[in-house]
Amino acid sequence: MSHPSRVLPTSIRKAPPSLVGILLYISLVALLLLGVGLMDGGLAQAQEQTPGVSPLHPTFPLLDTDGVNVLVSGHSLSTMQTCGNCHDTGFIADHSFHTSVGRESYTAPGQQPNGQPWEMSHGLFGGWDSIAYRYLTPPGDERYDLGLADWIKFYGPRHVGGGPATNAPDGTPLADLAVTSDDPFTHSYNPATSQLSVWDWSESGVEEMNCFLCHMADPDLTARSEELTAGNFGWANTATLASTDILLKEGEVWNWNPDAFSSEGSLLADYVFIQDPTPENCGACHGTVHTSAEPLMPSEITADDLHTQRTGQIFTGQRVKDTGLNIENKDELNRAYDIHAERNVACTDCHFSVNNPIYYQEPDGSRPDHLNFDPRRLDYDYYLVQPEHNFARGEASQHLVSAQYTDSMRRCESCHDAETTHDWLPYSDLHLSVLSCESCHIPELYAAPLEQVDWTAIHTDGASLVTYRGVEGDVNDLTALITGYEPVLLPRTGVDGEAQLAPFNLVTTYFWTYGDPLRPVRLEDLRRVYLTEDGAGDSYRPQILALFDADGNGQLDETELRLDNAAKVDLVRGELVALGLADPQIQGEIQPYAISHDVTNGSFATGECKTCHIEDSRLNHTFQVAAYRPGDVTPQFTNVSGVTVVGELTVSENSTVNYVPSTTAMGLYVPGHNRVEWVGWVGLSAFLTTLAGVFVHGGLRVYQAGRRVKKTHRKGKLHKFYMYGFYERAWHWMQSIVILLLLATGIIIHRPDSLGFLDLGLVVPVHNILAALLVANALFAAFYHFASGQIRQYLPQPVGYFPQMLTQAEYYVRGIFRGEPHPFQKLPGSKLNPLQQITYLVILNVLLPLQVITGIVMWGVTRWPLLAAQLGGLPWLAPFHTLIAWLFATFVVLHVYLITTGHTPLAALKAMTVGWEEVELIDDGDA
Amino acid sequence: MKFSRYGWIAGALVTLLIIILPIGYLTGFFEPQKVDPWDGLPDHMAHTDHTGLFTDPLTTGPEVTAACLSCHEGAASEVMATSHWTWEHGPYDLPGHEEPVYTGKANVLNNFCIGIQSNEAACTSCHTGYGWVDENFDFTEETAVDCVACHDQSGLYIKGKGGQPEEGIDLVAVAESVANPSRDNCGSCHFTGGGGDAVKHGDLDNSMLNPSPELDVHMGEYDFVCTDCHQAEHHEIDGRAISVSLDDANQIYCTDCHAEEPHEDDRLNDHTATVACQTCHIPEFARKEATKVEWLWSEAGQDLPQDTHEYLKIKGAFVYESNVIPTYAWYSGTADRYILGDVIDPSQITEMVKPKGSIADPSAKIFPFKVHEANQIYDTVYNTLIQPKTFGEGGYWTDFDWDQAARLGSERVGLPYSGEYGFADTEMYWPITHMVAPSEDSLQCAACHVEGSGSGRLDWAALGYDGDPMFFGSREQQLSVPPGTLSSNLNNDQEAQQ
Repeated sequence: MSHPSRVLPTSIRKAPPSLVGILLYISLVALLLLGVGLMDGGLAQAQEQTPGVSPLHPTFPLLDTDGVNVLVSGHSLSTMQTCGNCHDTGFIADHSFHTSVGRESYTAPGQQPNGQPWEMSHGLFGGWDSIAYRYLTPPGDERYDLGLADWIKFYGPRHVGGGPATNAPDGTPLADLAVTSDDPFTHSYNPATSQLSVWDWSESGVEEMNCFLCHMADPDLTARSEELTAGNFGWANTATLASTDILLKEGEVWNWNPDAFSSEGSLLADYVFIQDPTPENCGACHGTVHTSAEPLMPSEITADDLHTQRTGQIFTGQRVKDTGLNIENKDELNRAYDIHAERNVACTDCHFSVNNPIYYQEPDGSRPDHLNFDPRRLDYDYYLVQPEHNFARGEASQHLVSAQYTDSMRRCESCHDAETTHDWLPYSDLHLSVLSCESCHIPELYAAPLEQVDWTAIHTDGASLVTYRGVEGDVNDLTALITGYEPVLLPRTGVDGEAQLAPFNLVTTYFWTYGDPLRPVRLEDLRRVYLTEDGAGDSYRPQILALFDADGNGQLDETELRLDNAAKVDLVRGELVALGLADPQIQGEIQPYAISHDVTNGSFATGECKTCHIEDSRLNHTFQVAAYRPGDVTPQFTNVSGVTVVGELTVSENSTVNYVPSTTAMGLYVPGHNRVEWVGWVGLSAFLTTLAGVFVHGGLRVYQAGRRVKKTHRKGKLHKFYMYGFYERAWHWMQSIVILLLLATGIIIHRPDSLGFLDLGLVVPVHNILAALLVANALFAAFYHFASGQIRQYLPQPVGYFPQMLTQAEYYVRGIFRGEPHPFQKLPGSKLNPLQQITYLVILNVLLPLQVITGIVMWGVTRWPLLAAQLGGLPWLAPFHTLIAWLFATFVVLHVYLITTGHTPLAALKAMTVGWEEVELIDDGDA
Repeated sequence: MKFSRYGWIAGALVTLLIIILPIGYLTGFFEPQKVDPWDGLPDHMAHTDHTGLFTDPLTTGPEVTAACLSCHEGAASEVMATSHWTWEHGPYDLPGHEEPVYTGKANVLNNFCIGIQSNEAACTSCHTGYGWVDENFDFTEETAVDCVACHDQSGLYIKGKGGQPEEGIDLVAVAESVANPSRDNCGSCHFTGGGGDAVKHGDLDNSMLNPSPELDVHMGEYDFVCTDCHQAEHHEIDGRAISVSLDDANQIYCTDCHAEEPHEDDRLNDHTATVACQTCHIPEFARKEATKVEWLWSEAGQDLPQDTHEYLKIKGAFVYESNVIPTYAWYSGTADRYILGDVIDPSQITEMVKPKGSIADPSAKIFPFKVHEANQIYDTVYNTLIQPKTFGEGGYWTDFDWDQAARLGSERVGLPYSGEYGFADTEMYWPITHMVAPSEDSLQCAACHVEGSGSGRLDWAALGYDGDPMFFGSREQQLSVPPGTLSSNLNNDQEAQQ
């Protein structure tokens, strides 16, 4: 029994990552193979089919809206009828945001959450897209931009049909709508004549949900768009088949090709091109998709490629260097644009139908605690009848589309186990909780997306002024160098309420608004202000040209058109007022667009510590949001659902607007980048003051010693004592070395820019290991001192301690210069003088514990995040740790100096090395 | 006391160790380093300058050799033990053959110039010896060894008929120039096998004398010479080709220098048990010069326009192709080959050399090949391929008489000839292993793994798979054998044999 390789529907070939999922997958495959095996004979032929022809989908008749075979009626086909023969097309149309595009959230204008006053939904239908600019006119508005029929003509190519293209928001079929006065659903507006006319929906037909758009290999988008633009809505779906021989166009008329049908009137098997949606299908609207082995050419990036225009995302597995795009340093970019595209992961593998039994996974929140995976699956038969056409989606979306499916998609962590692959990353838990996967794995986009769209002025063709980022020169010029861009990182809040930094592009739009309630100035009115018809097409009106044409060449280029002075703004505003628009204002919006594609693997992801842990941290990179400000208006963030804007907008001297993120405002303390300045100054002052004091004191000693040379110094008798036992010396030196190394590594971590000759990824673990050694050594030493009773040496005498301290201090201030003997003899049983005792008391009981505790809490910041949070988190712990480190450094200086105060400068050092020390003992009588 | 005098030094060392050991251990400093491919390269020793060492005039090849041997005693006998001299390997026990067979250039047939027997004088211009013009050549004569074919660096040395130096070459200058073999030395024969540049291998031609990094990363980017991989000891040079050899002793593997799983990415490393390095890293062969992919001997003898790349009266019609996508087959390191006298089925394509291996063979990996298609003369009565005499007196290239060429050739090899001949289709596999592209030009997933109705460059069914392993699982899963049973690899296998 042979198993044909191409008989399985594509979508079931991908296994969910869990073990249960794999088992399920295997059993499903086994079942299907069994079924296939039984049907072996019939399917053997299927293998020989031409590419694009479905291996499994049965043949079917094409039906018109009345359910009559189109061969009989000669009408356009109805997808709802044709596909509805087997599939529940009513269910599908009702469960598809692609179809409804917001119709289900339709309200009166101005009632959308976070919406503009003229918005009526959170989708393309009635929502506001300031880049596309045209909008559905709210009912009751006198000034029409788009009636529903006009909306379909304009936005139809971006809409899959159905939803508002077949039914009014209340569900009434469009053809059944009663014509009411100036109602946008039954009227069409002609800007050329400024006339409203009744739209005859029965004449135009309606554009049903277009199954072919996504379910065939090569839908004819051009023919479809032509029908839509011409208002022949009822033929749009039929025209989508124009790329096949099913349909022949004779003159202006579509005719069905009888050769494509069987004698029973069904399509012949060779004409059944039905398939699972491929990336190309999705790419037709959503962005540039390239799967062929030929180089990706600039012509493939079109204005219709929504996400490519708005973020620069290109979905292809092709290596950047192999494309035909003019990209900076291209030869070195041997990464694929998108690792998932490279690895054959298709759009629908993540954005699957949410009741697809292969993929469906109940969200964590609603799944009972005792289940990791719910094995009960919708039977495949039922799925094929009623496939949910809302697709799994991620966390961030600007337009709040199908909010109930937020985070229904597989996220990175659904398939990838970041913990096992990030063991090289210090504090991986912390990094992974602060940073989304995308923030490192989408380090750069190699395309030139929108930066600014300015509708305050227009070109003669009615287009806005557009600025692109990531390109040197005109984006439409093939020789322009695409430099790409580094996306800005903004905290994105997931459904779990936790915010992580994630990459975004920010697109700024400017446009005029007027009136109350507020409305955007229609393109038609802009045309009236700027343009005049002169027979050969539109040209600028004389008064516009007179004021705007700086170089006097009779043309207005992109720069001249900018409303960059008050005179231009006043002129345009005056003209708008003259058109009857009340109180025209310039409005500026900044819209964040999330970036989740163009992912790269570890080899090309951000992995250098110093990308972020440095003064010029990637987290704080300034991001230009506008190249200029029309009317000096600073744009504001809009519609930022799921995104927190932390940082500020600044206007530079040359009027560019920049977004400056702030790690502090994000609540982050990024070692190496963030510092508390006063801690550094205080610490440095203490250190330098001590150093200076030591030099002065030491200098004076040397000077005094020189003067004393000739005097007969009254010397005591030298006695040799075994001052430090082996263990005492060992722990001392170990601690010394460890402390010095801790200070050295600590300062590298603290200031990686100037001192970071070593990689933080190495230095940080070394610092932690050293700290562990220090603590262990300290504990051993403490045990030794307690057990041996040596601890007593550290304890000041209860009586008369204060005067003793004074005596010792007095010695350092005066006696030492006169060659006087130490006031307290250093003996094996009492090695420490009173000042030493108090110093060590403070160091061992205050500084060391504080340093160890702050260090441990920082080390364990992801293990016990609550503990760290209660102690103020890194922003408080880290500077404190730094301050104490300074004090330790200061102590080291002092300590090293004071050990030179024995009977010879090196006596104490020698003692701590070999154990034996010669001590001058003065007889009591002599003292 | 005496203990404590120096005891502190020991103490200091122990203290340092207590600090260094945990740091080294925990930061992975002591972990074994990755395989460094450069460790596999031989040292390039400076060669002694031979200028002025030759006082006697040198007028013939054997005189040069004698001069070499006066210092390099034993060099000739070393060479004479190698296949560069014997053009023969063996004995091999071959199924279907009662006697053990010896194979090599000396006696096999291919589907280029077919075979050397009776044509020695033309073919042995690439023999590392002097005077092999017929079956009477004395393989024990030390001075007949040609040292300078491989060691000349003057660029003046050219071998002619019977391997003799062409007339007028200043052999003293040649002898004085000797050094380790360069690309030119190896290339003078190996780039032009089959009668011209780029004819045979597909991955070895004159573009490899000075290749760009894109054409050959080892030689173009890192300036390798042939002998960096084809290392020699006692003149025994590593490397094996299934076109002449029936075993894979002495073979060279990528993993001689590179790690078994050299990729950072586990998904790529998962391929290495099944897919040879060459498969992804040599996306196409003949990337600079077109190579011969088809040779129709049946068309020879006509008075058609002569063109080295399309038609020659003496040889027939050819097809050359460049940027050829390889043919992929399972390959365990050895091959089946046609032996003189084997009976063929003239209705089928006769495989002159076909790699051994299958999906079920744990030592086999998917490997790229150039497949050279041809037709050539055979005996229509005995159904055996014929060794024709092409060169020299009575040869086809002289008289254009196939019958006479067949008769003379068959007499020479001692096979019967019925007098009836025809032309049979033959095919020959050549492993593609040179022209390794830089890693950034290696194949990407979609070259083989294609979702939906398209097809990649691997024909899964032909390779024995039920379907694309991306969806249907590894060969172990598809053959229902326990995991690990098919995941050994060529190199391990090789070591196990040794």
